Amino acid sequence: MQLSISWLRDYLQKPDVKIVAADLSEKLTMRGIQVGAIRQPSAGLESVVVGRIDKIDPHPNADRLQVTRTVISPEPGAEPLQIVCGARNIAEGDLVPVAIIGASLPGGIKIKKSAIRGVESSGMLCSAKELGIDETSEGILQLPKHAVLGEPVSKLLGGKQNEDTIFELELTANRPDCLSMIGLAREISPLLKTKIRDPKPARFRMSQHRTSSIIKVEVEDPVLCPRYVARVIDEIKIGESSDWMKQRLESVGLRPINNVVDITNFVMFEYGQPLHAFDLRRIQSGTVRVGPCKEAQDFTLLDGSVAKLEPGDIMIFDGDRPIALAGIMGGLNSQVVADTTAIVLESATFHPQQIRKTAKRLGLSTEASKRFEKTSDIAVVASASDRAAGLLQDTFNANVYHPAIDTNEFGVKEPVVALDMRDVKRIAGLTQLTVENVSELLESIGISSHRKSTNVLSVRLPTFRADLRESIDLIEEVARLNGYDSIPLKYPTSSAMYDRPEETRYEFERTAKQILVGLGLRETIHYSFTSEESLRRCGVLSEHRVVLQNPLSEEMKVMRTSLLPSLLETYRYNHNRQIANQRIFEVANIYRSEPRAETKVKETIHASVLISGQQLPETWRGKSGPVDFFQAKGALESLVHQLTTATLNFAPTSNHTLFHPNRAASIRLGDREIGQVGEVHPIIRDNYLKTTEAVVLFEINLGALRKLEKTSVVFRTPSKFPAIEVDLAFLIDRDVTSAALQKSIEASAGALLTSCFIFDSYEGERVAAGKRSIGFRLGFSSLERTLQDSEVASLKTKVIETLKDQHSATLRDS
Amino acid sequence: MIDNIQRIQEEARGRITSAPDTGELDRLRVHYLGKKGLITSLLTQLRDLTPEKRKEAGALLNKVKEDFESCFTSRQGELERVQVEQELKSSPRLDVTLPGTYAMTSGSLHPVTRVLDEAIAALRQVGFSVATGPEVELEFFNFEALNTPEHHPARDMQDTFYIEKPVLLRSHTSPVQIRAMKSLKPPLQIISFGKVYRSDYDQTHTPMFHQLEGFMVSESVSFADLKGVMHYVVKELFGERPLRFRPSFFPFVEPGAEVDMLWGESVDKKSKATNPSDWLEIGGCGMIHPNVLRGVGYNPDKYTGFAFGLGLERIAMLKYGMGDIRAYFENDRRMLEQF
Repeated sequence: MQLSISWLRDYLQKPDVKIVAADLSEKLTMRGIQVGAIRQPSAGLESVVVGRIDKIDPHPNADRLQVTRTVISPEPGAEPLQIVCGARNIAEGDLVPVAIIGASLPGGIKIKKSAIRGVESSGMLCSAKELGIDETSEGILQLPKHAVLGEPVSKLLGGKQNEDTIFELELTANRPDCLSMIGLAREISPLLKTKIRDPKPARFRMSQHRTSSIIKVEVEDPVLCPRYVARVIDEIKIGESSDWMKQRLESVGLRPINNVVDITNFVMFEYGQPLHAFDLRRIQSGTVRVGPCKEAQDFTLLDGSVAKLEPGDIMIFDGDRPIALAGIMGGLNSQVVADTTAIVLESATFHPQQIRKTAKRLGLSTEASKRFEKTSDIAVVASASDRAAGLLQDTFNANVYHPAIDTNEFGVKEPVVALDMRDVKRIAGLTQLTVENVSELLESIGISSHRKSTNVLSVRLPTFRADLRESIDLIEEVARLNGYDSIPLKYPTSSAMYDRPEETRYEFERTAKQILVGLGLRETIHYSFTSEESLRRCGVLSEHRVVLQNPLSEEMKVMRTSLLPSLLETYRYNHNRQIANQRIFEVANIYRSEPRAETKVKETIHASVLISGQQLPETWRGKSGPVDFFQAKGALESLVHQLTTATLNFAPTSNHTLFHPNRAASIRLGDREIGQVGEVHPIIRDNYLKTTEAVVLFEINLGALRKLEKTSVVFRTPSKFPAIEVDLAFLIDRDVTSAALQKSIEASAGALLTSCFIFDSYEGERVAAGKRSIGFRLGFSSLERTLQDSEVASLKTKVIETLKDQHSATLRDS
Repeated sequence: MIDNIQRIQEEARGRITSAPDTGELDRLRVHYLGKKGLITSLLTQLRDLTPEKRKEAGALLNKVKEDFESCFTSRQGELERVQVEQELKSSPRLDVTLPGTYAMTSGSLHPVTRVLDEAIAALRQVGFSVATGPEVELEFFNFEALNTPEHHPARDMQDTFYIEKPVLLRSHTSPVQIRAMKSLKPPLQIISFGKVYRSDYDQTHTPMFHQLEGFMVSESVSFADLKGVMHYVVKELFGERPLRFRPSFFPFVEPGAEVDMLWGESVDKKSKATNPSDWLEIGGCGMIHPNVLRGVGYNPDKYTGFAFGLGLERIAMLKYGMGDIRAYFENDRRMLEQF
């Protein structure tokens, strides 16, 4: 909503009251009516003066430009200014507006001395648009011959020139009353220490003809249309509005159309009551009927677009033929046109939720729908109609039929609500206010009340404030009018013994993040939605994916089924910027559809890591080797061991699009797969990441580990007796896994085995093809005694034999 | 005999403490303490003395022997230290300005997480505890239970992503309020946080962002307490800064307010902004609407509550001067490594 200060003055008892824009803006903002911007349309025009083009030369370096010599002083022999101009509609001798150095135009252009393609230019010749006096314009504005050189152009612009100030208001949805000049005057007048000047009832002569002799009004369901006022007005002469009217409308951002439409718009901005004029010739049945649309159909609106109507949309009918989408926009078939001579003027209220529903569905947001959907004031329906009739008569002596038809089914009601000062104190923290103070505050904006008891005020809820319905609304109103600044500041008495929620989920995720940071990884955060393509590329476009109904774009359409595609995208983003050695992680939810869930979607917290480049940071001592599978697995194991008591198993996996078939593992918790770890598949690496280095990553379902969170430790006393270590190297078939060997070792060595460490795994030239050498360092010890060498020797023999039996492993000579 | 011992002792002390190197010291050791050394020969001479004299001289000799040994050890230590010092003097010195090489990379939390952790820590310290809730929500928790029925104009304030009506991506963290209040009994002091979603994308809006929300319900909290808590949070996050509470509208609170913090240098003596644009909005707040309390079965005549919500990216922007909100989710390493 744009507020024209000059227009506002029409509704103040002291219209000439001094208004300091910055001051008023601050006060309004602190009353919850936020002023987003203040504009002064005429600001800057004082530095735009009348000039005469004496000479025009072509620009030496640009075909489209010309170089003028323009005089801006009436003195004979005054030195002309050299000004470069791009417009073609100029000729020598023309009188034109010249913005001189230092001028700042309404559009924000600041005039400085400059060189345009090598030619110095000391000012600017202006178009009407550049001066802010027309929306569009072609070429430089031509000034009349009587214009005086050097005088400000604003003097010549007559009615269009004004000293107005415009506030751009950012209104909250609960204050439709501020969508009108009268509503704003009500709110602002106490801030200016004046009172609102209520517009006098409109006065006009009524003709002998009765409205009811021409039309009837039928409201099918008064809930959809609680009040409908219809007038017939003839002897209409469609034409242009007066400059005064046009200026008023333009000042609040409305485009003048013709005198009838302009008057309906003017009254809408004045009262907040949208009006509509039908051409009387189009009401062929003689009955204006208001009711819900019964069946789906197409309807052409007055802007030429076609609305798909649905049953329930409130319509205005001529008999059975729809002529307007009620409260939103009129129909093309009944609008006022150039040869209209008689109209039916509609002023009504409609069911706010239904208007909003229809407008929202059709994607229409009009000045009318914006007011109706927030509940318009039922009390002004008739006065707004009167006002428009009066203006029409004043404008071209239109003939107004009498009396208006007014359905007003439910009447105008102003319920009374009790406001208890103890509640004002209890909720708003305002301890000092008395019923008298509060009554005065409310009175300042036109809300009447009377004292019921020491602590209770009876407040009459006015129809112009639909947002005030119950006591809490009045408490806010009192706090607002009194100023939130005057609410004291105190600290609540809090108690950690209050009922508390489970905090374990938050703690668990936070600990996981801290562990990952400790592993030298940087946290990333990605959008929870991505493109189908991104998921498909990584082979995780699950059939259980969750898709947005109204995504912003294809790139943000599907809820992530895995965190890895995002990490790959970030790898690529940084790789494209020559950033090497990426070590990143994300802890976030993934989503899958789950018909049994409350929302039919299951969110699961996952952790994911991506590592690329060198195993260790490069230093002046040298480089380490490139990362591989085991870096990713190591990071995963560190995370899981620090965070939980879980024992994970790893099984080779080769059916993932994302992972290298020979360098990836499925992460298992018992029999359940809870993630994968591995190197990126060469195809994705080459075609998508466009890199040659190895990239390794993992993703794990943290949610599945939450029950195993490490919350406590069972301490075991270390042995006082020395341990004996034995190194054993075996030659095995290369596909026998270390995990299988370890399991056999543990089973055969028994309780005295206290550690089993793999110190080597080798395949290559020094062993036969298809074979691998693997070395174990076994530690034996007892809590009760020093072990005998012979005991350990026999266990060692047992291990060697078991591995030979179970895995055909042969002991290598050391 | 005794005189002789005393003489030897004095002479030997001088020679030991001035021995120039360890070779000389070894020779002296053999001379005095060796198997054929002076002390040994004196000990054999004891046999010739009377029993009284023998006892006296024997005790003295033992003392002298101990004294010699400690002299040798201490001179030995001195000489060795001198030798090491000489060796170190000639050995090369490190370039201590070279970077350290402890083989570890630095990790870091995302700026949003940093701000979140800070704010949560501050609020937990004054008795708030953390509740969590789903990001995929039901319309009921996101809107209806928060006094925002269908077709309420306030729904325009939050352009919402839908999965399939009535399932949506939560547009604020306030549904957690409802879930928490339904499962717990007042008095309560709760914070919740996390990702929220709105269909908006430009330099100041991303379709996903993070909120932190706090609320308190008891038999005695009012707007004055809300002010106190907001001042506390801001002080913890930014240091002491003037705040202003501006009436605003959120359907689930009444009285409702937006909180502005005075930023930049333009503060005059009365803590007023010299330029209105120096008031920067940091969040919304208000007293929990009686309809919301009623909806979760709390009696609004007995209990009052306040709630506030902060945008974490907004806070991070102010704290770290990171202007374009979209950059928070690009994960440029050059951004990440600054935290």
